Amino acid sequence: MTDKILTQHFGLENLFKIDVYLENKGYEAAKKALTDMKADEILEEVKAANLRGRGGAGFPAGVKWGFVPKDIEKPKYLCVNADEGEPGTFKDRYIMTHNPHLLIEGIIITSFCVGIHTAFIYIRGEYEAVALRLEQAISEAYDKDFLGESILGTGFKLDVYVHRGAGAYICGEETALLESLEGKRGNPRLKPPFPASVGLFGCPTVINNVETVSNIPSIILNGAAWFCQVGLPKDGGTRIFGVSGMVKKPGIYELPVGTNLKEIIIKHAGGMMEGKKLKAVIPGGMSAPILTAEEIDISMDFDSLVEAKSMLGSAAIIVIDEETSMLDVLRRVTKFYSHESCGQCTPCRIGNSWINKIVKRMADGNGKREDLDKIIQLANNMMGKTLCPLGDAAAMPVLSIIQKFRKELESYIPLGN
Amino acid sequence: MAKILIDERECDVAEGTTILKAAESAGLQIPHLCYHKAFMPEGSCRMCLVEIEGLPKLELACSTQVRDGMKVSTKSESVIEARKGVLECLLADHPIDCPICDKAGECKLQDYYEEYGLFESEFNEEKEKRQKKIEIGKNLLHDQERCVLCRRCVRFLDEVTKTRELGVFQRGVHAEVATYDGILVDNNYSGNLAELCPVGAITDKDFRFKTRTWFLQSRESICTLCSRGCNIYVESHQGFSRFSLPKRVYRIQTRENQMINGFWICDKGRYDYSYLDQERLDKIVVNNSEDPQSWQEITSIVAGEIGRLFHMKRSSHIGLILQSWLSNEELFLIDKIFRNDINIGKISFLDPPEESSDDFLLTAERTPNRRGAKEIGFDLQPADWEKFLEDVDLLFVFASPIKGDTDFSPLKAALDKIEKTVLFASHNHEINSLFDMVLPMSLIAEKGGSLTNIVGSVQGFSPALDAPGNCKPAWQFLVDLAKKLMINFDFYNQFSSPESIREVMKKEIPYFREEHE
Repeated sequence: MTDKILTQHFGLENLFKIDVYLENKGYEAAKKALTDMKADEILEEVKAANLRGRGGAGFPAGVKWGFVPKDIEKPKYLCVNADEGEPGTFKDRYIMTHNPHLLIEGIIITSFCVGIHTAFIYIRGEYEAVALRLEQAISEAYDKDFLGESILGTGFKLDVYVHRGAGAYICGEETALLESLEGKRGNPRLKPPFPASVGLFGCPTVINNVETVSNIPSIILNGAAWFCQVGLPKDGGTRIFGVSGMVKKPGIYELPVGTNLKEIIIKHAGGMMEGKKLKAVIPGGMSAPILTAEEIDISMDFDSLVEAKSMLGSAAIIVIDEETSMLDVLRRVTKFYSHESCGQCTPCRIGNSWINKIVKRMADGNGKREDLDKIIQLANNMMGKTLCPLGDAAAMPVLSIIQKFRKELESYIPLGN
Repeated sequence: MAKILIDERECDVAEGTTILKAAESAGLQIPHLCYHKAFMPEGSCRMCLVEIEGLPKLELACSTQVRDGMKVSTKSESVIEARKGVLECLLADHPIDCPICDKAGECKLQDYYEEYGLFESEFNEEKEKRQKKIEIGKNLLHDQERCVLCRRCVRFLDEVTKTRELGVFQRGVHAEVATYDGILVDNNYSGNLAELCPVGAITDKDFRFKTRTWFLQSRESICTLCSRGCNIYVESHQGFSRFSLPKRVYRIQTRENQMINGFWICDKGRYDYSYLDQERLDKIVVNNSEDPQSWQEITSIVAGEIGRLFHMKRSSHIGLILQSWLSNEELFLIDKIFRNDINIGKISFLDPPEESSDDFLLTAERTPNRRGAKEIGFDLQPADWEKFLEDVDLLFVFASPIKGDTDFSPLKAALDKIEKTVLFASHNHEINSLFDMVLPMSLIAEKGGSLTNIVGSVQGFSPALDAPGNCKPAWQFLVDLAKKLMINFDFYNQFSSPESIREVMKKEIPYFREEHE
């Protein structure tokens, strides 16, 4: 059996159509789950698979589902986070474009397991074509009785809706996503209460990333033991690594969790472009602290990257070459977070804007000696001191770039300033 | 109960209390901007971060609930550092225009900078330019440069008035509070926004640039413009020695009372305070000209007039018209003197007509003490005035403050025919000239006593302002008058203050015993 779980059938003509999907063992996991398994058994299987959230935080999916109260009169909801906004990340788009039924099948099993009858796919506004394809696939699934009043005659009811966002990075944060889905301004909520108990419209809600949910069918079909064996015991399955930047073959690569970063870049992505030399790698989407060329011999799993003071995040690998100025990188990073801060928490709202103004001034050639220390102080003011993780997400890359490339950044400051 | 340690101070608080409230109960203030008692914690200003032993990150005091054995530090190095960081950010983009800001002196940002900041600004970039004078309501202006985005105003309109006129627009540093498509805040509670704003972002046109907050003396009082009895502060200026000011009162602010008005007052109560200073009658007027006689002499004259009729057994020819602007104590004295002692027989109320209630605080009744009058035993139905005035020889009218909305026309024609007419008034009014004697009265804000609100709560009040000119509180005059009448001297001689009257009132009328306070 191949190591690929999600992209296994990529390349098959018309895979996005339900007939082709069905020809390739499509919806068999859903059938198995709904007819042969009890909700508890599914939950145990997913827990045992150690499927960690693919959105960035890496929270175990089974544990998350387990937090949802069982005996409650309120409806429960599933929200699939398809607001793929982390710069460098483009994996979910591929899953939804090429294999939308895999996601829908995952949604069916997840909903059945938790006792959910309404699921939402919150997709970023820019993915218009992808949203249309999802809607097409959902309509096919209704036609074939995989969604609707009584799925496969089991009496289990499930409706799935696609909801398009309006272009805010912050709406990828789960509680901001809920606010946005409720029709409000996408501001993160104060936690606790957590969405598992008080989520969408005040009801218990499971929020999972597209890739996470898409892994469910294969866990049900092949079992948790198999899933763990593909990846690492404590971090099962594969990751879809999205490689971008100065490599020969940028793109998505589905590889077991724990694959070496160097191997991904050199072997799978074809190594550096002709004449380019590796300078640094951002290993998990722009929020992840940067790694220098010397630090890339590392296993791509949650724990190893935390040990290296970075993070796996969305497993989006951005490869930076020697000719790229780190000040330019810093400028992109600070401009992005300054633009995307929701504006709720003081340190993030003003801190990011302030940092961005300093970096812009530096890029304009008017840097001052004290600037870098001020940026560090402002980033530390954000780190761990905001309501949602955006503060950390903005502070971490800035701090790591300054720490690891301080000499270079200082070289852009005019003498005497 | 949970036993916790805040800055080495032990406190026992109920399970589920937030750290911020627990600290306050132990006498420790934790700085905050977005948090307000009236609303759920928002957790966005990040000023209230505290350190909790065993936790890796600083936590919000406004929303974190205490656990037994918790050790909290509100002054550790990392807490102070975080606080400074927040202040540094807020002040970086702030216009620092305190010298022309109405909020200066009572601004939380100013206070916290004094307390925790006092750093030199290291902000060398260009500040964001924003609008500084946007009309957001009939009395409200919004300065977006001063705004700290605490969202108190937005939450007030969402949760209290449910009118939802304000929202936050744009993102990040461009985020701003604004109206939807220019539709202004328009509800009877809009004035609360300026008071609720912790900084000078929302200012009140009524107060804008009129004076500085530190010149104001803030004294407790009760609003008298309807029968809710909202608790307020009357804020007045003592004036300067070298030039006089056009008025004493510059603002009315809310005073929290969860049993009556919560944290809010209506716009009528907030803005219609000009009657406290305008058109005040402050001298004794006899036959339409200022009279040089003292209160003592005047009281003797009035007592003489009453005594004459009383001894001639013509008490039934004395008429008394009241308005429920009088305190419980004053109404009690009137009841005692005119009904018990003299038995005048003709007492009626002439209150302004009811207006519409707003279904929140503002009631239909527009005088503060109709309930009190009822509990003392008065009949509040207006009389058949023609019949009432028919054979009156001596008429007393307590009409204070005379407001345009009371219809005095039924009295006008009869006044001429009555031998002697005495008006107790607080304001100059066209009706005054029709009376033989007009005596200046203090307002509720200028005296002590108690009022009974629409739901029957008895609330005491003390003077928030000095009485102007020759004004006298009605209770004082009534005690002096009763003593002069020498009918029941010992009874009235025990009254030296509204409190002493209330003590007796409590004994005599069961309603005024403690449970209604």
